[in-house]
Amino acid sequence: MKKSEEIKKSIADILELPQDIILDLPKITMVGNLQIYVENHKGILEYSTTRVRIYTKNGVLRIIGKNLILKNIVVEEIVIVGEITHIEFMD
Amino acid sequence: MLILRLWNYLRGYVIIRVEGLYLEKFINHCIEKGIYLWDIKRVNYTTLEACIGIKGFKDLRRISRKAGCRVYLSKKNGYPFWAHKIKKRKMLLIGAFFSILLLIIASSFIYDVEVIGNQQLAEEPVINYLREIGLKPGANRYRIDLRQLENELMIEFNELAWVGIEIKGIYAKVEVVEKVAPPTKIDKNTPADVVASKQGVIEQVIAKNGDAVVQKGDIVSEGDLLITGIVSREQMKNPLYVHAYGEVFAKTYYESNKSISLVEIKKQRTGEVYNRRRIKLGKLELAIGGNEIPYSDYEVEKSNKTITLWRNIKLPVEIILDTYYEAVEIEEKIELQQAKEIIHQEAIGELMEEIPLEGEIVDTKITFIEEGSTLKGTFIIEVIEDIAKQKQIITGED
Repeated sequence: MKKSEEIKKSIADILELPQDIILDLPKITMVGNLQIYVENHKGILEYSTTRVRIYTKNGVLRIIGKNLILKNIVVEEIVIVGEITHIEFMD
Repeated sequence: MLILRLWNYLRGYVIIRVEGLYLEKFINHCIEKGIYLWDIKRVNYTTLEACIGIKGFKDLRRISRKAGCRVYLSKKNGYPFWAHKIKKRKMLLIGAFFSILLLIIASSFIYDVEVIGNQQLAEEPVINYLREIGLKPGANRYRIDLRQLENELMIEFNELAWVGIEIKGIYAKVEVVEKVAPPTKIDKNTPADVVASKQGVIEQVIAKNGDAVVQKGDIVSEGDLLITGIVSREQMKNPLYVHAYGEVFAKTYYESNKSISLVEIKKQRTGEVYNRRRIKLGKLELAIGGNEIPYSDYEVEKSNKTITLWRNIKLPVEIILDTYYEAVEIEEKIELQQAKEIIHQEAIGELMEEIPLEGEIVDTKITFIEEGSTLKGTFIIEVIEDIAKQKQIITGED
């Protein structure tokens, strides 16, 4: 992590500000294994019915599952619906 | 989300097919340009299906060139397309509009006026009077002031104690309650006779005033003179007119004939079920899917669903579900004793309503006759009651 990032993180800690805003990190919300919301993404890298890869600030988010559909896609948010089995961050 | 879907429908959207190798690139470009895509589905490696708004679709050309994809329009959806289609078929729209208009207009007229609850009063004068004051077949139901009509009807007909007019769909139901008139009282000084109020065999005559003309054992019919108010003695030249009164007890007979079939037909369900739905809008009932009922014998069960908005506020929309159960008729024999009891109770109940409270029941005669598969019963109740009724003497003098 860079120096500026560290300062930002410590400021966020002290002031108890939400880290996803200060650090520009993705906020991921899941509803069981049916739905996944990814806020603050940086674009889509790959999309197929079994695998979705999304660019984020701290790497590529990989979602693996079955019958994946991009329910909704806008600048701030992606909603993926389907049967989700794996989620991981890759560099 | 329903609201979102409805919004999209109203705005209009198209389903597109995108073909190309860099489909992700296409999606990213769309996001960048602020074009809203939804329900993106990968069909195969090179094909993608997505929904897009009409406005977005127009901007798509440049993006597809940039991303090296081809965009095909696969389906148009939503209100704008529908409106466009309907624009070419104006007559259809006009027809729909007029048929709805016709329905509304036709249901705003009264088709039939019905009077219920009248016993003494004939229906005809009431209906005729109602016609005069505005309630008649063909009248507009929204122009009629029901409360006003009720009042007018009450004023016109003295016999009525209460009038309620209700409009049920296209029928006007006039419910009336008649006054129970008190018995006419004859002044003590006016000469009067005592006559029989019903048929019977005289049991006892107590003439408190006037001369008895019947004695025990006489058979009298309705209207026969029992105690006369015209008293004449040998010494008198002119007969004396008196106000005759007294009590005349007589045996009266109440008869009832009943019959019952000894074979009862019962319906048994076979297990086959057929459902039919009806929708009820306010007072209007519409059948949904009006197929014929596939059974010749059936039993019907009804259940309705209403949409409750909040607490007791209900939408005037109701869904009625008719469930038809196929049934088979089964003949079942009834025990003779049981059949006798059934008609006995029926007849007694009926007769008891006729017999006045003061009457004293002396005897009950019951005879049963079995004729084939029907049982006939005759029930006679003997009652001793007062049959005296005063009747004014119309004399030529006054």
